Amino acid sequence: MLEPILKINNFTSGYEDNLVLHNVSLNVYPGETVAVIGTSGCGKTTLLKHIIGLLKSYQGSVHLFDEDMACIDEKEYVGVMRKVGVLFQNGALLNSISVGENISIPLEQHTNLPPHIIEKIVRLKLSLVGLSHVYNYSPMALSGGMRKRVALARALVLDPEILFADEPGAGLDPVTARSLDDLLLSLRNQLGLTLIIVTHEVNSIKRTAEKICYLHDGKVLFFGKLEDALKSEISEVKSFFATQVS
Amino acid sequence: MEHRVKLPSSVTSKNVNSYYNNLTEIIKKSSSQEKIKIDFNEVSFIDSAGVIAVNDVRERAEKKNILIEISNVKPTIQKTLELFGKTDVSQLTKPKVTTYFEQAGNTFYNMILFVRDFILLLADSSYWCVVGIFKPRLRRKGETIKQSIAIGVNALPIVGLIAFLIGFILALQSANQLRQFGANIYVADLVAVAMVGEMGPLMTAILIAGRSGSAIAAEIATMKVTEEIDALKAMGIDFIPYLVVPKLTSIIITLPMLTILANFIGILGGAIIGLTYLDIGLIPFFNEVISVLRYKEVSTSLIKSVVFAVIIVLTAVHFGIKTKGGPESVGRSTTASVVASIFLVIFADAMLSLLFYFD
Repeated sequence: MLEPILKINNFTSGYEDNLVLHNVSLNVYPGETVAVIGTSGCGKTTLLKHIIGLLKSYQGSVHLFDEDMACIDEKEYVGVMRKVGVLFQNGALLNSISVGENISIPLEQHTNLPPHIIEKIVRLKLSLVGLSHVYNYSPMALSGGMRKRVALARALVLDPEILFADEPGAGLDPVTARSLDDLLLSLRNQLGLTLIIVTHEVNSIKRTAEKICYLHDGKVLFFGKLEDALKSEISEVKSFFATQVS
Repeated sequence: MEHRVKLPSSVTSKNVNSYYNNLTEIIKKSSSQEKIKIDFNEVSFIDSAGVIAVNDVRERAEKKNILIEISNVKPTIQKTLELFGKTDVSQLTKPKVTTYFEQAGNTFYNMILFVRDFILLLADSSYWCVVGIFKPRLRRKGETIKQSIAIGVNALPIVGLIAFLIGFILALQSANQLRQFGANIYVADLVAVAMVGEMGPLMTAILIAGRSGSAIAAEIATMKVTEEIDALKAMGIDFIPYLVVPKLTSIIITLPMLTILANFIGILGGAIIGLTYLDIGLIPFFNEVISVLRYKEVSTSLIKSVVFAVIIVLTAVHFGIKTKGGPESVGRSTTASVVASIFLVIFADAMLSLLFYFD
């Protein structure tokens, strides 16, 4: 029996006086693709930030690769994050350096590889996302979709075991959003990644997800397979899938 | 007694005020149990302002026990009245008003937090400055040189010009006074001591705080709001050795150099006045400068510039990293950073001057 790669138990958190998440519990196993979904402001991104240790004060527990993210020390955190890739909503590329330099940051910081090997790895990851020609470009010269692809290449540069994607299709036209979904799926199939996608786009969910975690007002209303979510009688889940045209 | 008010065909924000004033005036003058009839017969359009005004009149009348009768309402207007009448304005919470004591308390509390965070940032940066020497991998390649050029080399013209003008003005102001006592040569002493001991390091630091401190604060703040700092953290990279240490190292190197240059150019500005206005040759002027400057003045100047350098960078980083919200908060953080760093530089200057010169 496989052990969960991510375990969240009775997790409660919030900003100052407002509780954003209440008693969230879920397990994610290696190789699964889980979509964390819900309407805007339901706490999806907050949950993601807690899982990857960017926000810390909460009740309950978050275990990523068996490390408790609440009391992890700096060295262990770096060790965990080497196995994690994060695709931020706006890409979060460093605008002051080139695309190639952006992608090589994790390799330069966490490995002792010589520069020419690092460059080859970076070019390989760029070709994986179909952008091998933008190595020397500034991130500012790229379109929204290209920035997301470059950010995905950076997230994959250390060959992570789990990839978190925050609204991968946000701000993209349907065609580009679909191609990004297809890219995520093909990478998952090729690399055996565990994928956690935070989104509220039904089409993207139907294309990519195996499991659904539906958040509503900071609570998990549904956690289970996509097929079951589509047949769910929970009114919020039902209306979520019904309101968007597939 | 019964009052009648007939509304026009269109009741909108443009004309509702006159009817509203008329109705409230009637309510004021009326006594309990009197009746006001509002005739909607001609009304074919009413907007949200019209509905709110009518409802407000109703509430005012109810408080005085005056009867309000709304008549001849068309079905379409009835729908609009129901739609805009649903909003329960009483449910809207008023923003909390903070008292002066609360504001004073908040300000004091924020100051304590600022000092605490500043000390933590200083400790963290100092640690990584030392550890970074042995772990070059943690730094961005070539970043220290790039920053040194941006902070130091590119600031040379403006620092030189300002220093020249300050030396020039100092000499001009003092020359007028000292000439009356035949003490022309002491202009050199005054300019040298004032420039090296005070004006050189202070003015250079203020210029760099405005020029480079703002740029650093804006850069870090932008990186914060665009999640670049979060992205670094998610890649297991500490932003202090990666982003802050190169800036800190470069400013610690370049600010004392700029200060030395400012001191020299300022004295040169004074020497021009000596030469043209007081007939003191350049050689006697500089001989006097060399004779008056002691080791203490020069070392004080350099120590001050290093302290100012640390203050400028850490204040900028502190305000940058505390930025929350959207792009407008970048501007706020940058302004706050420049104001705070100029204040802290002047405050530190006063403290250091007390320390070095108060016997």
